[in-house]
Amino acid sequence: MIPRRLLLPIALGVALLQIGVLVFMIASRAAILRTGTEVTLQVEPVDPRDLLRGDYVVLGTNISRIPAAILTETPQGDGAASEQTIFVRLKADGDGIWQAVAARYDAPPATAALAGEVDIRGTTHRLWSSQTEFIDVLYGIERFYVPEGEGRDIERNLTTRAFTMKVSVNANGAAQIKSFYDGATLLYAEPIY
Amino acid sequence: MTAYVTRVRRDIDRWQQNGLIDATTSDALRADVATQGAARFSFGSVLSMMAAALFSAAILIFIAANWEEIPRLARVAMLFALILGGYAGGAMLKLRDHPAFGEAAWIVAATAFGASIALIGQMYHLSGDEKQAILVWGAGTALAAAALRSAPLTVGSVLLGVAWMLLYSLERWSAYDLPLSYPLIALVLYGLSFWTESRVSRVLLILSVFLFAFILYWQHETVLVPIWLGLASAALFGVARLWPVEAERYLGLGSELMILGLLGFLVAVGIVQIDLIDEPGFLIPSIIAFAGIIAALLLGGAHNSRLRQLAYAAFIFQLGFIYVVMLGSMLDTAGFFVVGGAVLSLLAWLITRLERRFAADAAQTSGDAS
Repeated sequence: MIPRRLLLPIALGVALLQIGVLVFMIASRAAILRTGTEVTLQVEPVDPRDLLRGDYVVLGTNISRIPAAILTETPQGDGAASEQTIFVRLKADGDGIWQAVAARYDAPPATAALAGEVDIRGTTHRLWSSQTEFIDVLYGIERFYVPEGEGRDIERNLTTRAFTMKVSVNANGAAQIKSFYDGATLLYAEPIY
Repeated sequence: MTAYVTRVRRDIDRWQQNGLIDATTSDALRADVATQGAARFSFGSVLSMMAAALFSAAILIFIAANWEEIPRLARVAMLFALILGGYAGGAMLKLRDHPAFGEAAWIVAATAFGASIALIGQMYHLSGDEKQAILVWGAGTALAAAALRSAPLTVGSVLLGVAWMLLYSLERWSAYDLPLSYPLIALVLYGLSFWTESRVSRVLLILSVFLFAFILYWQHETVLVPIWLGLASAALFGVARLWPVEAERYLGLGSELMILGLLGFLVAVGIVQIDLIDEPGFLIPSIIAFAGIIAALLLGGAHNSRLRQLAYAAFIFQLGFIYVVMLGSMLDTAGFFVVGGAVLSLLAWLITRLERRFAADAAQTSGDAS
């Protein structure tokens, strides 16, 4: 048994440690929102029939599937079978939507990003072959949580109207959804905390 | 009342009638059995654990509902308060001699930790890292279990570890990727279970390793996996039979060890059987299955009623399984069963003779002694 006089201090220590881990998680996410570069992405429905799973909407964006042609380095061999990190360079087009202009496995493209460009980090599951035309990438922003019951409206409208979202990308390429727009109308904006 | 208590009482009655013990001793023994039997199973602690499970589920579902009436920072604060109050309150309850309520409060606190991770995922719309979330939750729970020496928290961390392993393997099904770190995690939790005296955790961990082997086979389709599993299980059984004292000290599974050994063996043989279904080689694992079941019965069945029950159930299952698989050629099945029956009859005859001789020897020895 734990000595009686130590039990309460230990319990408090465990509680504070766990709370500390949680505070750290919140702080690192908030830091991305505060300091990251803001990019606007076009939201695309993933599967029109089953967008809403539970209390979040599954989203795709205009950079969820990138052409293999923009890879700055062709991967050697068949590529690794498991999950792979990929960096995608984004640049705003004439309409203010950011598009993928370059990409590289494992590290950001060798040439430094110019002003108005930002590198976003994602993971890809796809096996590489010389016939690969498109690469599916996940950025950790494929989900938008909504209050219970509100997902259906978004689900309905997403197939008919243009939705966009603003995403904050920090220097390491980590991305974080900032706000969600129906056309020009702001639907949700996330407070930092 | 447990089956054990009933049986011991019957034995005490018999010993008293035969004059082996006097009335005072038998009364003392009965009283001891009554109090110890009651201590083994307490409705209070079971109900408090059920209450903790209900509270925990309520917390998780409440967070999942993403209710906007309470601002999310307030929700975060509520969960933090639950974590702090749960661990500290649990410690106070333990100090005031309510151990069951104390453990229940700790379970609620550990759940609040997990719910907080989920809430953060919701606040920042994180996608695709459930695995990591479960891992952090499980690690936090294991840490709390170690610091507080709590058996229920250990069980909780084992369940979270298993959930992580399942999520990991099912999510990446196509990628031929298995959490190879899982055996390491299982080993660490196994060590933890000695510190927190949680036998349930050890049984769950051994079962989870069987599940892990099954998934490993499923993804790679190599018969090597069940062969290793079968050999390891047989080795466990052998250790339990030959060195029970050491087995208890290092594995801490008591009479469950033999049962788990047999179960692992059956899982392994079952995998090979499924692998070889509709192939001529199917008979080989089937024969091994029967041989293993009979061997387990002969070696360990005498003093282990649950092992006997598992062996009987497996025997009947194998009969049905082989019959269904070989339905295409009924004559073969019939022939196989006739040979099997003949072998078992011979075995039965031999064993009966041996048992009689042992019994006669024993009677003679005791006769000489008196």
